[in-house]
Amino acid sequence: MHALEIRNLSHWYGTRRILNKVNLTIAPGQIVALVGPSGCGKSTLLRAILGTDPPSEGEVLAEGRLVTEPNRDVGIVYQNYSLYEFLSAEENVAFGLKLDKTSLISRFIALPAYLRKRREHLQMARDFLKKVGLEAAMGHYPAELSGGMRQRVAIAQAFILQPKIVLLDEPFGALDEATREDLQLMLLRFYQENLKAKQRGERPQYTIIIVTHELNEAIYVADRVIGLSRFHTEGSQGAMVVYDRPCPVFHPDDPKDLSKFVEQREELRSAVFDPNYVKHHSKYVSFWDELSNDALAVAAMNSR
Amino acid sequence: MIRRPIPRWLVVLLGILGVFSLLAVYGGLSYRQSLVNEKQKVIPGLQAFGDGVTRMTAPQGSEETPKPSMLVTDLRATYWRLFLGTGLGVVLSVVVGIAMGAYRWIAAPLAPIISFLAKIPPTAMLPIYFVLVGSDQTMFTTMVALGIFFTMAQSVYQSIVNDVKDEAIDKAYTLGASDPEIVYEVIWKQVLPPILDNIRLQIGPAMIFLLAAEMLVGAEGMGYRIRMESRVLNMSIVYIYLCILGFTGLIGDWCLLWLRKKLCPWYDR
Ligand SMILES: Nc1ncnc2c1ncn2[C@@H]1O[C@H](COP(=O)(O)OP(=O)(O)O)[C@@H](O)[C@H]1O
Ligand SMILES: [Mg+2]
Repeated sequence: MHALEIRNLSHWYGTRRILNKVNLTIAPGQIVALVGPSGCGKSTLLRAILGTDPPSEGEVLAEGRLVTEPNRDVGIVYQNYSLYEFLSAEENVAFGLKLDKTSLISRFIALPAYLRKRREHLQMARDFLKKVGLEAAMGHYPAELSGGMRQRVAIAQAFILQPKIVLLDEPFGALDEATREDLQLMLLRFYQENLKAKQRGERPQYTIIIVTHELNEAIYVADRVIGLSRFHTEGSQGAMVVYDRPCPVFHPDDPKDLSKFVEQREELRSAVFDPNYVKHHSKYVSFWDELSNDALAVAAMNSR
Repeated sequence: MIRRPIPRWLVVLLGILGVFSLLAVYGGLSYRQSLVNEKQKVIPGLQAFGDGVTRMTAPQGSEETPKPSMLVTDLRATYWRLFLGTGLGVVLSVVVGIAMGAYRWIAAPLAPIISFLAKIPPTAMLPIYFVLVGSDQTMFTTMVALGIFFTMAQSVYQSIVNDVKDEAIDKAYTLGASDPEIVYEVIWKQVLPPILDNIRLQIGPAMIFLLAAEMLVGAEGMGYRIRMESRVLNMSIVYIYLCILGFTGLIGDWCLLWLRKKLCPWYDR
């Protein structure tokens, strides 16, 4: 089952077409970077996936279920406004558990049972915060946290409910370079957990679409890069997926070898960001082909 | 230098000094007035204040049917009206303001009406209340309640518009919230501090409306008493009543500030 499936999604604002027949399938456990020139419709696409701005045409399915309004299947981390300022870090993380697992009325009429659950929820939240390196700040309010800590809490908040997929819209855009790298490493560790889960035959927990304007970041944290752009032969009709290829996977303990990036970065730059380089939109859309070629190669190796 | 910090003890000392110099100036004026007219009641001295207090607190009525003193009667009437009116107005405006902030189809028809009515001085509307509701207890309560309702409903609505971002609501949905949960867990929690600050700001206006109404049509209450006593130049009683009103405002202010600190520890960080 696909974690996310987008079929023929188009979006108009008034008479202006922003997105043109976007098609995309994402498997559980993938970390997908979404890049594209600013204003090309990346956030619009995320809002369509989230269900707050349903597409004008086409549909979005989260693990087979049609998304028509925001719900607990699809999580979100914004660049700003990412936390509830009236809740402490651990309460923010436990917020989803409270909303999803208990009802407003039961909190009042079955108070003792709720309080018992609440203790469990807070413990789960603290465990998750420990995992993202925030045990020291668990009782602090968002106003007392640094930008990087806030984004860690926001990521924990989105993932603790184990949604089918989590969308990160330029989550590290406002952070300084060093903090940014720490958070990138955190995503790499999530990816390693995914791999381990797959080895055990379980469903990987972290499926992510991350929008970023940093090509290095895209290649570094993701295992797949998708480019959204108007620069293709049907350009006047809005942005399409013009790039969809795997990218190298880094281990959090590996050095960040920039030389591995160079080639793909240049490819992305011309295929996605260069207005003068006009090509058919599917020229670089080859993720699933490359994947099945790999699978065939592996199968061929094994049969030998 | 502007805003140069001064030590804490100096702040306290200057504060005390301020109060004492006010008392000293008053004492001086009162003394000078008594030189002109020994029986003057316009700027009463200690003696006159003592007489005032005695008169205020003396039990009324006869031996068989004793009635509470003037002060007790007035305080009871005014505070009850103030409490009931403010409470009603606050509850009403919070409910309406939150409903407007949560649902656009409620805000659309109400916002223009409320912002218009909020601009009419409630004291100018007094005659309408006399005609429509009469001049009994209900009248005072209604007028205090409505007097603060329009401005407060408007500002509760505004704080929701400003402080509760669409992203906060959308995210709550992605965390599994229902509509009532968004209202209670997101909107209410977010705007509770501005609501408490708003109540604080409305205590003053509420007292203005009530006192004005009591001066015009009351048969008891602090506004009524202040008008009656000032007519016969019993200024000692007038001044004491004014002080009581001042302290009422101050204490209300403190209580709400304290409540905000208790309920919204996140707000001052
Ligand atoms: N609510 C809206 N109404 C009209 N136009 C919009 C709206 N939101 C975004 N747009 C336009 O749609 C285009 C894509 O916006 P967006 O998805 O935010 O781009 P990106 O996130 O890729 O920078 C932009 O040109 C923007 O001006
Ligand atoms: Mg954007």
